[in-house]
Amino acid sequence: MNDNALLTVQDLQIDFHDHQTPETAVYDFDLTVFPGEIVGIVGESGAGKSLSALAVAGLLKRHSEIRAGNILFEDEDLLHCGREILRSYQGDEIAVIFQEPMSSLDPLMRVGLQVEESLVVHHPEIDAAERKRRALEAIRSVGMEDAERVYSSYPHELSGGMRQRCMIAAAMIAEPKILIADEPTTALDVTVQAQIIELLKRINREKRTAILFISHDLSLVKQLCERVIVMKDGRIVEEGDTLRIFEHPKHAYTRELISAIPRVEKKEKQAKDQDRDLLLAVSGLDAGYGRIPADNEAGKKRLFSLRADGRQILYDVSFSLHAGEILGLAGESGSGKSTLAKTILGMIPKLRGEIRWEKKSGAAMVFQDPYGSLNPAHTVGWILTEALTKGKRRNFPEDEKALHDRLVQSLEQVELPEAFLERRPSELSGGQRQRVAIAEALISNPDVLIADEPVSALDVTVQAQIITLLEKLREETGIAILIIAHDLRVLYRICDRVLIMKKGRIVEQGNVEKIYFDPQQPYTKELLRAAGIRTNGEPDMTNGSRM
Amino acid sequence: MKRAGRKFSQYWRGNVMFRVGFVLTAVMLLFVLIGAIHTPYPPTAMNEGAKLSGFTPAHPLGTDHLGRDMLSRLMTGAGTTLLIALGTVLIGAFCGSVIGALCGYFGGLLDESLMRIVDALFAFPSILLALLFVSLFGSGRYHVIIALGIAFIPSFARTVRGEFLRERGRDYVTSARLHGVSHLRIIFFHILPNAGDVLLSSVLIGFNNAVLAEAGLSFLGIGVQPPDASLGRMLSESQQYLFKAPMSALLPGFLLVWMILGFSLAGEGVRAGER
Repeated sequence: MNDNALLTVQDLQIDFHDHQTPETAVYDFDLTVFPGEIVGIVGESGAGKSLSALAVAGLLKRHSEIRAGNILFEDEDLLHCGREILRSYQGDEIAVIFQEPMSSLDPLMRVGLQVEESLVVHHPEIDAAERKRRALEAIRSVGMEDAERVYSSYPHELSGGMRQRCMIAAAMIAEPKILIADEPTTALDVTVQAQIIELLKRINREKRTAILFISHDLSLVKQLCERVIVMKDGRIVEEGDTLRIFEHPKHAYTRELISAIPRVEKKEKQAKDQDRDLLLAVSGLDAGYGRIPADNEAGKKRLFSLRADGRQILYDVSFSLHAGEILGLAGESGSGKSTLAKTILGMIPKLRGEIRWEKKSGAAMVFQDPYGSLNPAHTVGWILTEALTKGKRRNFPEDEKALHDRLVQSLEQVELPEAFLERRPSELSGGQRQRVAIAEALISNPDVLIADEPVSALDVTVQAQIITLLEKLREETGIAILIIAHDLRVLYRICDRVLIMKKGRIVEQGNVEKIYFDPQQPYTKELLRAAGIRTNGEPDMTNGSRM
Repeated sequence: MKRAGRKFSQYWRGNVMFRVGFVLTAVMLLFVLIGAIHTPYPPTAMNEGAKLSGFTPAHPLGTDHLGRDMLSRLMTGAGTTLLIALGTVLIGAFCGSVIGALCGYFGGLLDESLMRIVDALFAFPSILLALLFVSLFGSGRYHVIIALGIAFIPSFARTVRGEFLRERGRDYVTSARLHGVSHLRIIFFHILPNAGDVLLSSVLIGFNNAVLAEAGLSFLGIGVQPPDASLGRMLSESQQYLFKAPMSALLPGFLLVWMILGFSLAGEGVRAGER
């Protein structure tokens, strides 16, 4: 054991009691954090990374239990010191921030009071005026200038990024020695994400606070952490300096993780011939929800008239989609990406403009969350049949054998075995579900596939598989794909052209190489920078092999 | 069928409440089934010589004030009560589900107008509504079933509507729409199976209320008519002899409690299983 270590965890084993027989979720977890150090824990969902970190903070939930091991913070044994002493560390010396800034702030309490709460608990000697002064200072120090306003706001009055800043302010106000950050940027937009990472770096630099950073996103870990721990299935598979891990990963799983990050480096994509059939032409499209006030109506209020409380989302959107093309649509949340998809599919009526389909046959859609898009009450076979027959058996007049063959063929297309026909969505993994969702979309032979964030709910290695699958399907069937994603790396990997959207308008569009390596608009540059992609000819900093 | 079996074993393993409730209900059903096939005496046959007899070898649970065998009357009476409750719940659950599904799925004007009618229905106590119906159309078990059935529609409609409001925004519904599946098929084949658990638990709990409502109506004398037996009817008849022969009130009361305990435990068990 090291004498000047801040936190030492040895041989930690955590069991789950959710089911009949206890399951071990974390095995032999060792961790040492020195004062002022930033350590990252990476791994896919279910790897046990959050569980281990929460155990350190004494925050394990009801069904999990520490079976063996030691947790030493400075000289205190946190596992055996008793509840009172543990509580005196929580929020004071050890602070935690969580993924969802939405749910980790109390919606009925002013933000300022939540920021100063740990002072109330741990330092009752500080009076209210001093507490408020410190809270304002903490809010200012996380980069919000109008601290007075933020102090007296309720959480719903703040944006996601501001809420996460408030959580950090609340965590930092007691000047903890270690900050445990459990996926703190996962729910945020890329540009906000980059700001939060900068903030964490600054806090670490200025206050010498050690940070334990848990994330599934390797590129973030690489930007922030000095040391990395890679976990898989409850075990640590590799540990070491960030540079060493990224440049010379030893364990096969680490190599797989790193190679699953889509690379953004200049490549000679074959120039796609431009004279392919036009499938979809959208021009001057305006759309939105509800009853939208017309220009000449604005300001007029009449008794008994329907209130124009709608909101226009899309402004003057124009683009085209050609056969066999993969077109990417990038932008932050709220930029209107999903609204555009829904409008094209006719689920939202358009206000103005034109959506012209060149061929008769239709489009199909793949959704972000495969847990929601597959009906949990039915088998995969039923779901596929329903999509094929539009709910009426007479739409597929051939016999049962032919139907079965068609379903099997459709599963083969997405590389799933026949046995899956009998399974229900709850019996499948996230990646398998998304494959079924793709099979469901493709079974009616559409010309265009619209995929709304098809991989963002999946683990990185699974993401890579699904992207490969989409590419393969394009090669085999010549289908055109409109893929919506906030992850610019994913888009670079798969797309021929990209559209960049901001606040309902397309700010830039063009060939990927052009957009990624010679962006014209400041917003495009900002997005690329936030994703850690260098634009002016420098190599991509986030992928180790070229450094 | 395979699915029902799997669901059952899921609930069975899920918690103690469901197990106890299921066993209680199963025993009750067995009792009623035997009564439907064979009773020791005809339930309306009077024995002039043995009125309000205690427990005797000839009448193991005694006789009532007209000398009718208690065991036989309990067996058929419990059966009548169950049958009325079943009919009530079936009518209520069926009509309620259809109304709730349509309102929850389509929303808008249809939802507003149908739900206001349902609300108005909800505002009446179910006994009062049944009273009204029976006094208009006459008493008798089938009228009681229809009257209570109508009174039970609102609670089912509300429950199912809530489920549909939640489910209709899910992506699998959007996906089905995009594939061109019709609205009615989406309602009954895509969404309704997902409301199955909630529906089952409200059916079991509704069953209780129906049992109580039947007992109440019969107790008031507007439900099952003499000489037929039902648990409420028997309670009503026994009240004059409460001190002379307490068993003639306690036994049907005990069966009522047994029945309700069984259903409500099973219902709670199903509901706990959803979480």
